[in-house]
Amino acid sequence: MSEENKEKIKVIDARGSFCPGPLMELIRAIKQSNVGDIIEVWSSDQGSQRDIPMWAEKAGHEFLGVIHEQGYDRIRVRKKR
Amino acid sequence: MANNLAHRLYREIVNGKVEITVVDPSAYHIYQPAWLLIPFHIMQQNEAIRPERSLLAETVKFRQEKASRIDLNNRVVETDSAKLQYDFLVIATGAKPDYSQVPGLEKAGYDFYTLDNSFKLREALGRFSGGRLVTAVVGIPFKCPTAPLEFVFLADSYFSKLGVRDKVDLSYVYPLPRPFTIQNVAEDAGKLLEQKKINMNLLFNVESIDTEKKEIRSLEGETVKYDLAVLVPPHTGADVIRNSGIADKGGWIPTDKYTLNVKGYDDAYAIGDATDLPVSKAGSAADFEAAVVSTNILDQLNGLAPSLRYNGRVMCFIITAIGEATMLIFDYDHPPVPPPPNFACYWYKLVYNRMYWTITAKGLLPGFGV
Repeated sequence: MSEENKEKIKVIDARGSFCPGPLMELIRAIKQSNVGDIIEVWSSDQGSQRDIPMWAEKAGHEFLGVIHEQGYDRIRVRKKR
Repeated sequence: MANNLAHRLYREIVNGKVEITVVDPSAYHIYQPAWLLIPFHIMQQNEAIRPERSLLAETVKFRQEKASRIDLNNRVVETDSAKLQYDFLVIATGAKPDYSQVPGLEKAGYDFYTLDNSFKLREALGRFSGGRLVTAVVGIPFKCPTAPLEFVFLADSYFSKLGVRDKVDLSYVYPLPRPFTIQNVAEDAGKLLEQKKINMNLLFNVESIDTEKKEIRSLEGETVKYDLAVLVPPHTGADVIRNSGIADKGGWIPTDKYTLNVKGYDDAYAIGDATDLPVSKAGSAADFEAAVVSTNILDQLNGLAPSLRYNGRVMCFIITAIGEATMLIFDYDHPPVPPPPNFACYWYKLVYNRMYWTITAKGLLPGFGV
């Protein structure tokens, strides 16, 4: 995490948004980002934990993991292409 | 909404104590679910349109004007020709297709999201003798989340009845890892798609469309070829919402999910597709919401606290074949439990297409009594 902290992390606060809102927010952010950027989606929707890694794998991006917080998750993806 | 309030406030309106005004740029009211059915000859144009004035109670004023700006702080709606002061405002400005979000989308194919486009699609289907028919959801949210599934199911039925189903390669392209947003409905839909030999291409987020090569390309790096493309466009809110500084990023109105107040305003409400609520952009949601809002405005006029809360109720049909449908009823806390596809649901849908004009549009049974 310490290495990642030095990198630019773009946070998308999609809390309160329901499926498929957080995934759609991530896709929108990926489109606007550069290769290597890390996007962190904040989601209170349980489905995001399943949908986002699946999408990242198919789209060729790197799923970096989930950080569980009180009432929401921080889901990180690195843009790879 | 206006009719329901007008029925309940008849005496106050006649006595000049209350005035209800509907502002709409169109002189006609369109039953939008018909757009999906017209291409398959299940509904006709004359069943889908009525003059707005003919539907409104006599006690409701109708201004055929376009609202250009809403000032929530000063309680004013500006139109092309007037500034209308209000005590209570209900915003129902809906959703509209936004073709500009994806390069090539507007010219690429067909859709059933305007009456004109529905006619064009009917003609295209009539002329389609075989090949790859691709139905792709290009962006979320869009009006009537079940419509793309219904379209491919209907297309399967339609070409089967014409005796050319074996010449038509049907594909359903969807941006999520399942064929519908709600998990259990997605599982049922996936089984039906397999049974009907409709290809599924999931986690496919349309990035661009090459109209010359007839290819749809995804953000994930895939390509789907088509001979006839039916593309569900992403939607956005009305211009007046953006122009008035009310809209969120997607163009939707920030709305309290229970009270239906525009957030921060107890004298302004939002209903239907225009809101940012986590419910389907579907007519039934608007009807259930209208029932809540009309009662709460009546309460406020009588000096009472609003007595109803919207529970997220939505009810919609999924036509699974010509002659077969299932039904979804759900709310914020209860997912749908759809029955197996059956003829009774299909018949109910056809009957409701006609009941809409006499029951729903005239506000006689708001929210089916909910």
